[in-house]
Amino acid sequence: MPEMVTLAIDEQEVEVEEGTNVLAAALGAGICIPNLCYLPGLKPTGACRVCIVEVEKNGRTKMTASCTLEAKDGMVIHAHSENVLRARRNIVELLVAEAPESEVLQVLAERIEVEDVRYPERDNDCILCGRCVTACAEIAATGAKGSIGRGMNRHIGLPFYNEEYCQKCYECRERCPMEIAPQSRRDPCGVCGSELSKNEDLIPEMCGDCELD
Amino acid sequence: MDLARVDAILEGRGSEPFDVMEVLQDIQEEFRYLPEDAMRQTAEILQVPLIEVFRLANFYKAFSLKPRGRHLITVCTGTACHVQGARKLGDQVLGQLKVGPGETTQDGAFTVETVNCVGACALAPVVIIDGEYYDHMTPKKLRKLISRIRKVDAQEEETRTNA
Amino acid sequence: MPRLGNLDDLAALCDALGSKREQSTRTVTMCAGTACRACGCLPVAEAVEAEIEKQGLCGEVLFRTTGCHGFCEQGPLAIIEPGNIFYAKLKVDDVEELVSQTLKENQVVERLLYTDPVSGEKVRTEDAIPFYASQTRVLLGDNTKLSPENIDEYLSLGGYTALAKTLTSTSPGDVVSTVQASGLRGRGGGGYSTGRKWEQCRQAPGEEHYVICNADEGDPGAYMDRCLLEGNPHAVIEGMAIGAYAIGARQGFVYVRKEYPLAVRHVEGAIEQAHEYGLLGDNILGTDFSFDVKVVHGGGAFVCGESTALMASLEGKVGEPRAKDVHTVEHGYLNQPTCLNNVETWANVPKIITNGAEWFAQKGTQNSKGTKIFALTGQVKNTGLVEVEMGASLREVIFDIGGGPQNGRAIKAVQTGGPSGGCLPESEFDLAVDFDELYEAGSMMGSGGMVVMDDSACMVDVAKYFLTFLQDESCGKCLTCRIGISRMLDIVTDVCEGCGTPEQLDLLEDLAWTVSVGSLCALGKTAANPVLSTLKYFREEYEAHIEQESCPAGVCPALIHYTIDEDTCNNCGLCAQNCPYEAISGDKESGYRINGEICTRCGICVESCNKKAIVKS
Repeated sequence: MPEMVTLAIDEQEVEVEEGTNVLAAALGAGICIPNLCYLPGLKPTGACRVCIVEVEKNGRTKMTASCTLEAKDGMVIHAHSENVLRARRNIVELLVAEAPESEVLQVLAERIEVEDVRYPERDNDCILCGRCVTACAEIAATGAKGSIGRGMNRHIGLPFYNEEYCQKCYECRERCPMEIAPQSRRDPCGVCGSELSKNEDLIPEMCGDCELD
Repeated sequence: MDLARVDAILEGRGSEPFDVMEVLQDIQEEFRYLPEDAMRQTAEILQVPLIEVFRLANFYKAFSLKPRGRHLITVCTGTACHVQGARKLGDQVLGQLKVGPGETTQDGAFTVETVNCVGACALAPVVIIDGEYYDHMTPKKLRKLISRIRKVDAQEEETRTNA
Repeated sequence: MPRLGNLDDLAALCDALGSKREQSTRTVTMCAGTACRACGCLPVAEAVEAEIEKQGLCGEVLFRTTGCHGFCEQGPLAIIEPGNIFYAKLKVDDVEELVSQTLKENQVVERLLYTDPVSGEKVRTEDAIPFYASQTRVLLGDNTKLSPENIDEYLSLGGYTALAKTLTSTSPGDVVSTVQASGLRGRGGGGYSTGRKWEQCRQAPGEEHYVICNADEGDPGAYMDRCLLEGNPHAVIEGMAIGAYAIGARQGFVYVRKEYPLAVRHVEGAIEQAHEYGLLGDNILGTDFSFDVKVVHGGGAFVCGESTALMASLEGKVGEPRAKDVHTVEHGYLNQPTCLNNVETWANVPKIITNGAEWFAQKGTQNSKGTKIFALTGQVKNTGLVEVEMGASLREVIFDIGGGPQNGRAIKAVQTGGPSGGCLPESEFDLAVDFDELYEAGSMMGSGGMVVMDDSACMVDVAKYFLTFLQDESCGKCLTCRIGISRMLDIVTDVCEGCGTPEQLDLLEDLAWTVSVGSLCALGKTAANPVLSTLKYFREEYEAHIEQESCPAGVCPALIHYTIDEDTCNNCGLCAQNCPYEAISGDKESGYRINGEICTRCGICVESCNKKAIVKS
């Protein structure tokens, strides 16, 4: 039997197997933490920062992405504190400004009440969430794709940009938030990745307003 | 490209995880850039995914995917150099050689780079040309230095043609 | 070299080398650090050696070249003992006189002495130079006493005795306790308790434990690590060996920047020599303890100074940091417990072991113990490496040691902590320099860069400079760092170009907060500091750019332009000749004109004009 740990997320006690990340723990308990780059069951990267939460320790809090945070016994997590909501909105606002055409981002922005995009639009066709890279490495087990370059030069590509290295399985495209409309995403819920929005009994209160159920 | 030179570099490597970085650094030194075939060979021999080798090549400033010029001009843009006028040195190089940071002149003579501090701040602004440090640099001194290198190169070229 | 089989062998060798050192009556010490080399010290050093031989002083005078002394801008420099005579800015032509007068006749050559720029007076000895006099050179002091290329010089000063003492009479737990009791905190920037880090690493289970020396010093304006590695590599290696013993590691790495070739050479040489004496390798000094150090060359990425990125790089991967919720002391290099410390931290360790924790803890402030080396650079009279006790005020460092502003201008700010730090105004100069005070004031100790800026610097431009740097150096993995920094840069660029709005400043503050709370690693988390600190202390400069569309310091290119004053101009044509962009046209008859379309406002023409006829407005 795997060891179990108990943590508190938004004052709700949650028990999960040791090694589970906080995002998965929250989603499993019906607590919606919006997220984007996370692919359930696969190795989280913490790239998009949408799933940011506050961790309370000795009276102090610190913000971090919940997908890369391992659940520990006695951990206290705030997923919807004022600071978290502010940071998450600002993060999604940045994302929308990068790729205003993305339907997924628009829905996400609406869902967490981003009111205004204060930056000039940039019209990118990729937001470097890295879902495709994870899919290529872990689902297709090809490991052909990768993020290349650094800083603002970072982009996704194949070795020497040579298409020959791609096996054309399109596992990546299936998971690209830019390629597809939210409803067609493989993940059960287009916004939070939670399967709960399909299960009437388990719909968390905050999903009540969600337009995507 | 001479793959034997790559194989010589790869000889005996592969036991340590950092070998791939060291091999790529050696290849860069040997060829003044990372040729595609050399990267393929490295990935294969060291059993590192090719995309990882390609990512390393694109991530670290030590590597270049195009051949570097015969002379490397590195303008330090550290804070101390910045406040002491390093920008003017960048302007001087750009104006004189018509290439910006990371670029190589068409004749393959000069590659220009910037570096975020070489730790010679007390001598700011600093320029390094082919490993040689030049302190308290001014646009004028830099202009003369570049012209001198060009002249020396031209003379050498002439001697070679005559011979 | 004979292998040292035990503690007594080492003690005997140290004694022999020490007494030989004391016997040499006359010594000439020349700095041969990177900076002095750039100033041409090597030909001078060769000339001194040759001249000593020529004048028949070979057996009498000991000549050595050392690593960096810290007073770089005075190089090439020499110290002559006895007498502590200090000669600055030496040239090959000075050498004959130096040898015949000072070494042979004990006469000081006045013209070679250093002139204090503040008092204008000649200073005879090194100790009396104001730049040195106010320092506490615990670490840097040794740099002036030994040749880094010869292990015997380090041994002659009692080198490796701390390691021997540790291995033979101290338990690993006691070593950790000593370091903990000393109050030593990490010198790389974070300021985490070194002893606590060691203890956590020691306790962490793993097949192997590793120690790493972080010598990927990338903060622009900081070079103390380079100087320590170049000048006293054995102190770092000895510190690492003691740390390795304490935490139970058998392998250590020095991850060093590729831009530091001399440091690489000296550390690699030092490791080799330590091996020959059996001070590294299997069964060190005949004990059960085995330890080796390998030098790994960085690939040129600032972010690799971050511990998780450094370890990724060491594993042959791109230097992308990972979330640090799991600490590297538990899961570091190859997922094993790893203790990473900065160069200066390691170099402090042998001193603490030799002199005791109390000795170290006596220096400094309540929570920041010991000394710290700062790289004092920028627009100040004396620049170089400065080692002071923690708690010295910024004013002492900048004015007493640094000698105050250059060219009679007024000092406006000091930037501490590199891209993670901030800019503090003159009104904050009485602040005690320690980890916590600087943090409270909105800056950081960082690795110890201190760039002084006078009124010719534009603080918005400085913020833009750091954002450009960070945008270039961000690994780009996490959104807030990659996009957040670029958006901050866009806003600051708008301000610099005179097209910013007051609303943008509010957005900038909100964004800065988001980047600092939302980013994955320390690079991103601290990236907003240069913006936030300049906004806090120099908001009026931002406002001047926005409201008056002017750059008060006359730096931002978009807000200035150059014209040639026809009345003052003598039509010499130097400006046209020097303009790298060929933006100045005309001839000696009809005069010269600047073409505003081509001109990039670099200001090179201003420097080239002898008549001061080019006016900035």
